[in-house]
Amino acid sequence: MSNVVDVLLSGVFAASILFLVAAGLQVVFGVLKIFNLACGSFYALGAYVGVSAVNWSLAAGLPRPLFVLALVGGGLALAFVGPIVERLLRTVYDRDEAFQLLLTFAVVLMLEDVTQLVWGTAPYSTGALYLSYGQALILGSTVPVYNLLVIGASVLIAVGLGLVLTRTRWGRIVRATADNREMAEALGVNMRRVYVQVFTLGTVLGTLGGALVIPSTTAISEMGIELIVQAFAVVVIGGLGSMRGALVGALIVGVLRAVAIATRPEVEMLLIYLIVIGVLVVRPRGLFGGAAA
Amino acid sequence: MAGPAVAQTSPRAGARAFAPGAWVLALAVLAVLVAPLVVSPYYLTKMLPFFAYGVVLLGLNLLVGYTGLLSFGHALFLGVGAYTVSVATTRLEIRSFEVILLLAALTAAIVAAPIGALCVRYVKIYFGMLTLAFGMLFYSFLIKFYAVTGGDQGLRVAQHSLLGLFEARSGERVRFLTGQFYYYAAAVLAILALVMWRIVRSPFGLCLRSIRDNPEKAEYLGVSVRRHRWYAFMLSAVYAGIGGALLGPVTGQVDPTLVYWTHSGNLVFMVLLGGFTSFFGPLLGAFVFIFLQDQIMSVVPYWRLVFGAILAAIVIFAPTGLMGLLSQRPTLPRWAVLRQAPGPEHAN
Amino acid sequence: MTASTTRRRFLRLLGLGSGGALLAACAQPAPAAPTAAPKTEAKPAAQPTAAAAQPAAAAATPAEAAKAPAQAAKVPAGPVKIGVLAARAGVTAAVGQAGQRATEWWAERVNKEGGILGRQVQLVIEEESNPKDTVDRYRKLVLQDQVDVVVGGISTGVTLAVGPVAEEMGTPLLMWDGTTQNGIEETIEDPKWIFRSADNEVEAIGAALLTPKYFPNVKTVAGIGNDYSYGRDLWATYQAILKRSMPAVEFVLELFPKLGDTDFTSQIAAIRQAGPDLMMCSFWSGDAPIIMKQAAAVNLFDGMKGVFTTAGGVHDALKKEFTPEGLLLGYNSMYFDDPKASPLLKQFVADYRSKYNEYPAYECDHAFFCAEAYKAGVEKASRAANEWPSKEQVVKGIEGIEVESLSGRRMMREDHVMMGTWFQGLTTHKNAYDFVTIDPVESLPTTRIQKPAGAKLMDWIGTMPL
Repeated sequence: MSNVVDVLLSGVFAASILFLVAAGLQVVFGVLKIFNLACGSFYALGAYVGVSAVNWSLAAGLPRPLFVLALVGGGLALAFVGPIVERLLRTVYDRDEAFQLLLTFAVVLMLEDVTQLVWGTAPYSTGALYLSYGQALILGSTVPVYNLLVIGASVLIAVGLGLVLTRTRWGRIVRATADNREMAEALGVNMRRVYVQVFTLGTVLGTLGGALVIPSTTAISEMGIELIVQAFAVVVIGGLGSMRGALVGALIVGVLRAVAIATRPEVEMLLIYLIVIGVLVVRPRGLFGGAAA
Repeated sequence: MAGPAVAQTSPRAGARAFAPGAWVLALAVLAVLVAPLVVSPYYLTKMLPFFAYGVVLLGLNLLVGYTGLLSFGHALFLGVGAYTVSVATTRLEIRSFEVILLLAALTAAIVAAPIGALCVRYVKIYFGMLTLAFGMLFYSFLIKFYAVTGGDQGLRVAQHSLLGLFEARSGERVRFLTGQFYYYAAAVLAILALVMWRIVRSPFGLCLRSIRDNPEKAEYLGVSVRRHRWYAFMLSAVYAGIGGALLGPVTGQVDPTLVYWTHSGNLVFMVLLGGFTSFFGPLLGAFVFIFLQDQIMSVVPYWRLVFGAILAAIVIFAPTGLMGLLSQRPTLPRWAVLRQAPGPEHAN
Repeated sequence: MTASTTRRRFLRLLGLGSGGALLAACAQPAPAAPTAAPKTEAKPAAQPTAAAAQPAAAAATPAEAAKAPAQAAKVPAGPVKIGVLAARAGVTAAVGQAGQRATEWWAERVNKEGGILGRQVQLVIEEESNPKDTVDRYRKLVLQDQVDVVVGGISTGVTLAVGPVAEEMGTPLLMWDGTTQNGIEETIEDPKWIFRSADNEVEAIGAALLTPKYFPNVKTVAGIGNDYSYGRDLWATYQAILKRSMPAVEFVLELFPKLGDTDFTSQIAAIRQAGPDLMMCSFWSGDAPIIMKQAAAVNLFDGMKGVFTTAGGVHDALKKEFTPEGLLLGYNSMYFDDPKASPLLKQFVADYRSKYNEYPAYECDHAFFCAEAYKAGVEKASRAANEWPSKEQVVKGIEGIEVESLSGRRMMREDHVMMGTWFQGLTTHKNAYDFVTIDPVESLPTTRIQKPAGAKLMDWIGTMPL
């Protein structure tokens, strides 16, 4: 039993990070209709800034157990990147989506080197902080408390996003825009502002994902382009533009991959891409496609 | 060179504009022919990937520029071609490079047939995503099936002969690559460029453009949209396979990074850099990409930052690429401006 | 140091040309490329390279060049150019950086002492990345920069491709850590120009020899390594030897994540599920501390032994907080904290620490050895030729040469394989650092763990003394 729990929890941990990045991808696609390849780069940026933020704040006297606050702060502080990239994308809103996709690819290329310029090329990590919350025993399985924390934070963010999108005025505007841009605009919605806000939200989800994952691993410059293909799998399986899709897709990808590694390691990502292709062929809108953001 | 722009439909207009372009083209061909006499061996070895990518991009632009389908997984077929060379020379002990090229074309076509049939059911972003997924599927296969594919480190390319006459003698590989193989690869590119030139000017090419510009109308006029897209997909895969086969001997080793999604992205980058609305644009794009990358890498390691900025500038300010700038036709054709409602659009 | 200067140089470059200039730049090199042809000596020297080592180049003052030894008349003017291929991105960056730093330290030292036969050393540094691009950069070093020798190359995935190319290019290549093995098989039987690291498998052989000594009660073993020749071969070799020395042992699981992966929680879950007595791990780069940390997070090593054949390459990232005591840890050919360290090693460790605030890993030793073997080879060959030797003569000079490296006397065997002593031992927390060291230190000479010239690996393993 504990073995199954082990595998499942490792999958859920991966899924909770994937969900954040994929949610960023979804909210942007839902409203701006742009498939943002750079969401992986935001994730990498969040990771690097997360390490720096932790190092600075610990040096400045932040008690060790509170390092999570530094991570979240670092992730949130990167919100400023959103409007900048959105400003770049704004120039091609009226173009074919091929150009929008390529522009985000340009951002991917640039950000990969920006991380190397700022942080150098060597792996960059928070050392042993990952272990500072100790372990918990769940159904006979040892789990790092930090993993549970991240899973919890991810669930919290998912619930929060859901509430904001369904219960607030701003959420209704966003959903209306996602459903029918012309209609929303006709009703007096300031489209430009909604776009900036939504894109920034998408950015922050990605940077938070990167910042939260980093204690458990090490930041390297390729981590963004590696993650984007997984996030891509998540949103295709879940359905482009759907938040519920991001959640379910992330769980499917994260848990299936963990199960595959534990049972048939050679199929690993192969299995995921097969599912992606299967979904695209049989049900191109994904499991939850069609539903607005 | 401005003549053969895609937007042109009247053959007369094409003929008129051809004249100055022909001069530039003749000069370029001449430069390629005499380069081995004047250019240093290193830059000659850099020309080899240019020939190889040139072939790949001619095919890719049949999809992107002429059919309006953006593939983000085209490196898949390039990889199929490159791995074919390796398997043919090391496991099947085929030495004739002509046979190998045919085999690469055939393999690419066989792989592309089912993939294309699935992909062309969609357009726009869904087409791009499906091709990306297939590319990554092949990548995972190459990585994970170590016994067959050599995994991460890939496979070697062994000795081969050109026209049954030339092969690299021991210790003279650079001379072989910058001599016989150089002209061989250039000839392959020239021949395939001619073939592609005829294809895009044939009734078939016209059909592709009419599908790109207005699929509903094309269907109404009796053109089978999906089948034509499928043909274009297969053709472009065959070109990528042959180009990949040319790339194999240059490195002497083929590995999965050839198939990774960023490589597909770079292929599209090259097409856009040169200009997808022009027949020769992708070739110019490949040339500039390869040599600019080399120059930048010699100065600073941050070529991605520079290239990202260039790509962004091209997308925003010069969407028709360098060819568009040269021919002072920087505006986009109508089909690339129109924004259609997102969603999985079935081709019919 | 080098990385930051390049970075600064790049920022300056950005300052010079803003957005518009970048666009203009993309048209510029097109005509420049075909014309940059002349094969003169002067041109490539002026070429700015990825990270030409400033300290080395700056030291080459005319005054110093003048006070060259007696052979000066027959020694060509200008510096000796040494091409360096060093990984600088991703998980392998730290290891590549260690090799590059040691080469720079060596060059500075040699230049201070008057260079090689009076010629100053100039380093031309290029990046080791994927096979395709690295082959390209190698060709550039030889054809365009016209270097006298190339050193570097860490990942066998890359050197496997570079090796055959180097054999064709007529310039010596001394690989730091790469081999030309495909699987356990050698692809270049009788190399002319390339010198290789010891077999990939020596670390596994050493660890397998020590396993019965330190972990005699082990019954089940799982293996994890990177998904390419190195990871797979080490696992195969380790099993082959244990099957001889501990026939009762059962191998219950093997996992091969891709080199570059940074999340192993699922693999660790799989290992816990298999529940082996011992885990053998051949990670050698930035992924080693990651798996160590993620393993510690679930107490993987409670009741399980661990063998990390090569993780000493990133030893100072193995923090005490997450690296338990009692693991068998391999430091490859150099152990920075060796109680029997030579004055050279002590000097190097001190300089390295004061310059980078880090402790050097074994790649430094390979890099130093390659550069020093080249220097000694040139000197030996020049005594015979009584002039600056040709590249062929240098290769002959390097064959069988023995030099003092950081870790002690090392030799380049006649069949172009580097020899030396490998170090492994059990991890301990009893030291003044924040990372683990080993105690006791086991010395494994390559005469014991490297197959003899011409032997087939598995045949030899079947008969080698255990």
